[in-house]
Amino acid sequence: MTARIALAARLDLPAAAPLAEEIRGQTGSDIEIDASAVSHLGGLCLQVLIAAAVAWREAGNALTVSAMSEDFTAALAVFGLTPEALISEKHA
Amino acid sequence: MSDPMAEIRASFFVECEELLESLQDALNVIDEGAHDNETINVVFRAVHSIKGGAGAFGLTALVNFAHRYETVMDEVRSGKMEVTNEATKLFFQAADLLQDHVRAARDGGDEPAGAEEVLCALEALMGGPKIEQDAEDEVSDFVPMGLSLDLDFGGDDAAGPDGGIDEEPAWSIRFRPQPGLYASGNEAFHILRALQGLGEATVECDTSGLPAFGALDPEAPALAWTVTLRGDVDEAQIREVFDFVEDVCTIEIERLAGGGGAPALPGLPGLPGLPDLPDLPDLSALPAAGPEEDEAPAAQMEMPVAPATGSAPAPAPAAAAAPAPQAPAAAAKSGGGEAASATVRVDLDRIDRLVNLVGELVINQAMLAQSVAEAGLPPNSSVMTGLEAFMMLTRDIQDSVMMIRAQPVKPLFQRMARIVREASAAVNKEVRLKTEGEATEVDKTVIERLADPLTHMIRNAVDHGLESSEKRVAAGKPSEGVITLSAQHRSGRVVIEVKDDGGGINREKVLEKAISKGLVPEDAQLSDAEIDNLLFLPGFSTAAEVSNLSGRGVGMDVVKSAITSLGGRITITSEAGVGTTFSISLPLTLAVLDGMVVHVAGETLVVPLSAIVETATLMEEDIRSLGPNTNVIHIRGGFVPLYDLGAELGYRHPKDSYVGDIVLLTTQEDGSRAALVVDAIHEQRQVVIKGLQQSYGHIPGVAAATILGDGQIALILDPPDLVRSASGRTRNAA
Repeated sequence: MTARIALAARLDLPAAAPLAEEIRGQTGSDIEIDASAVSHLGGLCLQVLIAAAVAWREAGNALTVSAMSEDFTAALAVFGLTPEALISEKHA
Repeated sequence: MSDPMAEIRASFFVECEELLESLQDALNVIDEGAHDNETINVVFRAVHSIKGGAGAFGLTALVNFAHRYETVMDEVRSGKMEVTNEATKLFFQAADLLQDHVRAARDGGDEPAGAEEVLCALEALMGGPKIEQDAEDEVSDFVPMGLSLDLDFGGDDAAGPDGGIDEEPAWSIRFRPQPGLYASGNEAFHILRALQGLGEATVECDTSGLPAFGALDPEAPALAWTVTLRGDVDEAQIREVFDFVEDVCTIEIERLAGGGGAPALPGLPGLPGLPDLPDLPDLSALPAAGPEEDEAPAAQMEMPVAPATGSAPAPAPAAAAAPAPQAPAAAAKSGGGEAASATVRVDLDRIDRLVNLVGELVINQAMLAQSVAEAGLPPNSSVMTGLEAFMMLTRDIQDSVMMIRAQPVKPLFQRMARIVREASAAVNKEVRLKTEGEATEVDKTVIERLADPLTHMIRNAVDHGLESSEKRVAAGKPSEGVITLSAQHRSGRVVIEVKDDGGGINREKVLEKAISKGLVPEDAQLSDAEIDNLLFLPGFSTAAEVSNLSGRGVGMDVVKSAITSLGGRITITSEAGVGTTFSISLPLTLAVLDGMVVHVAGETLVVPLSAIVETATLMEEDIRSLGPNTNVIHIRGGFVPLYDLGAELGYRHPKDSYVGDIVLLTTQEDGSRAALVVDAIHEQRQVVIKGLQQSYGHIPGVAAATILGDGQIALILDPPDLVRSASGRTRNAA
């Protein structure tokens, strides 16, 4: 089954640890991450997402980020990433 | 703990104020005819820095305004636009608007009106909006694709911007956040965005340091970025982006081969932007000016502040001047390290707490001295000598702490420059403001509370003080009126003067008006000074028509009461055809006061020394009766009303005879005098002011209180206020 995780609007420092916890809680299952509400994506939550994507891929599970908000994709661009690069192996 | 982001935001706005100050300074220099590169650079950099900071906080309106202003200044900087009088005027207006924008962003107010007009006027001077500049800016939603040449330049990710590749340097900036960057409220996102705002940027995210998800500490930074930046950027600008985070990240800045046609110098990160390369004529001017432009405003800003941190003002200018000769080497650090080492920003509350504590220390020391004296120790005992040294130290500490609160009047004067600009435009007069003694330091509270009265006085001077240009020319004066605003220390007080070179006070008209308003009797014989002082009467306005600038019912009486409430005095001197001078004399601080400790009817009181002209012992022949209840004294050829302090304060009934009593002769702001009877003068000393208003409200005749050495509380009198509400009874009605 696919677990769904909805990202919070502000993905800053206080959001990083809970986000990691939430994703870790779904270890072993496919995850669909809903990024529709994100208005701010910070560096720490970004690294949680990237590391999770790597781990999930290595474990053979699916991790997808769906419904990315405009702010989310714009922030990815600022960080030098594309939506595809976020969950693929090659980073920019 | 407070929100770190809010703190950073607050410090950004503090920095904005400083940048705005250096902007005004530079514009003043330009206004005086200096169009050198350095000065123009200071303007450009001030606007640019505000834009950069605003970008990090997402203050779009401010960024947009600053960007367009900056674009114009860039044209000036590159010599494509000439600095005319008209342009300078617009630069000033734009600077005023920039200030409004900053305030609006800080306080959440509306965007200032008229910004668009000024910007359009500026852009018209420049020959229309400069579109390609926008491509370098992150806030612009306009990306001119047609100009992008997409040349392969040293790396497949480095797309050149417009045609000027050969002239533009390229930078490689490697940025790795360290633990602490995020924890201190900073965010890699904002830094990267600010970098990308400097020019054409490509960003690479380096995930090689990222641990496996299972081992990842979500709050420890693990990503790094490499930004390749092209555009008209110098290293100082890049360093500036990292101002807040220098110590919580590693930054490597490297000039790339090919970018700017400069020889490649890999492996030399941290060097300034190769200022002296001969094949870079237009660029060499910029980085060479780099250290100057960064240091110069900093030095000017810090100089007056530096003496406040110690008691030796002399070394400050030398220290401030020192960075200049180190030209290129200093450039590497010019992003703000300079300012950080010279000054420390301290929360005002902390200083106030320190001031309060030192006040307590002074009181405590006085108590100790008193106990030692009462213990009857010999004067040359080690306790006494130790205590004397302690007293001197206490006094030094107190002076030093008071100096921390002292600030130069310069920012206040700069605000007045704006008032002059706006006021003169409103009444269509040519006015120039000359300022003197801007570095004079006064207590911060005094400065803050001086702003309103000074604004009013300046407006008055522009509106009423100066004649119209035609009248001036007819009188053989230059058509441009001059208002001089000066500050200086004079015998422990600060004197601020507002002087105009106008027609002087029309005393006939003033007297006529005062009589018609019933303020003085028709047959009154008034001296010139007395007539001048009529201006301070409530409800007095000489303007035949009420202009929208001054004369809105807020008269000089309000100015006077504001000054008086600060413990100050205001005086006028005026000469027909030459001009009028308003002179304000203020105490340097509101925390301590030199006072005379007196005894009245068994009570101890403190009378501010500044209010006392002389003291005298009354002789029988000095006292004359005036009516059944009132006495006056005859002193120095004049008669002065006699007030019994004990009776006025309700301590006792008026005495039968005052012969042999001591009087304090006090002076009022209007120059009139009053004699206060006291029983004895105890001593003259500095007392720490403890406000009463919060606990008791306003008590007529009482300004505040203090705690004396013996722990006793003494009231500090306000003689003018006391006399105003006095009964004047000095005789028992028979």
